[in-house]
Amino acid sequence: MRRRITFIAGHYGSGKSEISVNLAIQDKLNYLVDLDVVNPYFRSRALKELLDEHDITLVESTIEGKLNSDMPYVSGKGRFPLQHKEVTAIYDLGGTENGTRVLHQFIEYIEDLKEVDFLCVVNIFRPETATTKDILKTIMMYEAETQLKITGLINNTNLMGETTQEMIDEGEKVLQEVSKILDIPVLYTVIEETKQNLTCAFGERLDLNRYVAKKWL
Amino acid sequence: MGKVLMKGNEAMALAAIKGGCDAFFGYPITPQNELPEYLSKHMQANGRVFVQSESEVAAINMVYGAAGAGARVLTSSSSPGIALKQEGITYIAGAELPAVIINVMRGGPGLGGIQPSQGDYKQITRGGGNGDYYLYSLAPESLQEAVDLIKESFEIADYYRNPVMIAVDGLIGQMMEPVDFDHEVKKWDLKPKDWVADGDRKSHPKNIINSLYLDPTDLENHNLKLKKKYDDMKANHQRYEMINMENAEIAIVAFGSTSRIARTAIQLLKEQGVNCGILRPITIYPFPEKAFKELPKEVKDLVVVEMNTGQMIDDVKIATMGTHNIHFYGRVGGIVPEAEEIVDAVLKARGESNE
Repeated sequence: MRRRITFIAGHYGSGKSEISVNLAIQDKLNYLVDLDVVNPYFRSRALKELLDEHDITLVESTIEGKLNSDMPYVSGKGRFPLQHKEVTAIYDLGGTENGTRVLHQFIEYIEDLKEVDFLCVVNIFRPETATTKDILKTIMMYEAETQLKITGLINNTNLMGETTQEMIDEGEKVLQEVSKILDIPVLYTVIEETKQNLTCAFGERLDLNRYVAKKWL
Repeated sequence: MGKVLMKGNEAMALAAIKGGCDAFFGYPITPQNELPEYLSKHMQANGRVFVQSESEVAAINMVYGAAGAGARVLTSSSSPGIALKQEGITYIAGAELPAVIINVMRGGPGLGGIQPSQGDYKQITRGGGNGDYYLYSLAPESLQEAVDLIKESFEIADYYRNPVMIAVDGLIGQMMEPVDFDHEVKKWDLKPKDWVADGDRKSHPKNIINSLYLDPTDLENHNLKLKKKYDDMKANHQRYEMINMENAEIAIVAFGSTSRIARTAIQLLKEQGVNCGILRPITIYPFPEKAFKELPKEVKDLVVVEMNTGQMIDDVKIATMGTHNIHFYGRVGGIVPEAEEIVDAVLKARGESNE
């Protein structure tokens, strides 16, 4: 079971935004806070209408009504879920340790760290997180940058439409090793909705609907 | 290394390393920043040079210098940054130096926006700098194709001693796709670089890298020599792909990301009983005029689809010499056309010609 607040970190293109949106919808969360000020495209903020339909409040850093205005600031509204124990929220960070840096301004508003999950999304087919050693290094960078401990892993091993069962298994093998070394759980294994026949052995199965990327991509 | 999942900008960066790029000089700009970011980590690790210069103008002149010394050199930028580099690019072409330039296009004119665009078509194919020169310009539609073409582009640049432009839009830079970096690419017949100004006076005589020819006869001869290269590109190295052209009754002309969306559009059209082909230029200079001669006789209407206001139409008109009806559909400002919009444009063009 995830905690009240979830921070999602990971490499560029590891699947942070797709996973954030899917978890927010699936778990009927109150808030999705898009803190990606690194990447200009494929952000969860582009899905305001969808989130509205699901009664999820979107916090992002644009000029109101202009979702593409790329403003170099982070919305202070991101504090609200931290300060209000009755709401649940997921925070979608930008890529790499640089993307996690924005958390600094929020950390002081966290009253109880036990309310926060800081999850790292990993796809072993991303060359920067291909091996146990690379993943440990990545996690160390995120922890050094934020001074927060990563509390769990999300296995998003995939090669998009070309994903096979062997790939998922290989990803699980690597992430099990990381999980053992760091003593943190693999919370989810992601399976794309169009690949229903695939199975996972570790963590909860997260059937992923691709909302952020266009269907012709 | 097998297939890996890459973000476009990272994939293009790694492709450059695989293509033997010795040195990168560049200045950051969205939406291509992951490209220099990746190289800043990986060039040095591979024994190569990475410099983040103080400006785009500095970067392109560093490219000029390193290329003159015989290195395989890369610079990358996005539209306004490429505009700044135009002076350096014409000098590089004038001095007959090889270099690869990646333009991850965003909306213009001026500072424009940061969302995808194909608005630099004219600048790329007509030359934004002064004088009679052209860039061999490749417009891939997928990350795999971008990787393969970038690896080969260093060969092409060396072969012609001329800059090669990789023209992609922000979508290609930002999207994720599985890529195999070990595809074999064409090796060109390269001569030793005996023209380099590398300080070596033992193995070759003193060389001068220059684009200044004060004597008109010399400059005319130089221009004619350059023209031979461009004529050879046109005659022998046009690249294109004909998609679903058998039995086609109408065709889309589109390059890069737009042709990718057109691929979805022709599936939707097939469901409605319309057989639509795609003529996809892979080189936008030289423009693939030969492809138009291969169009089936039944195809009388061509729908040009671009993320600009119709910059490629002139080339399509020149290639078809009045034999076809030319229609156009475009989106600008960073808005990417949806497949359904392209379907409507094709149906409209088809309706008009049936009236």
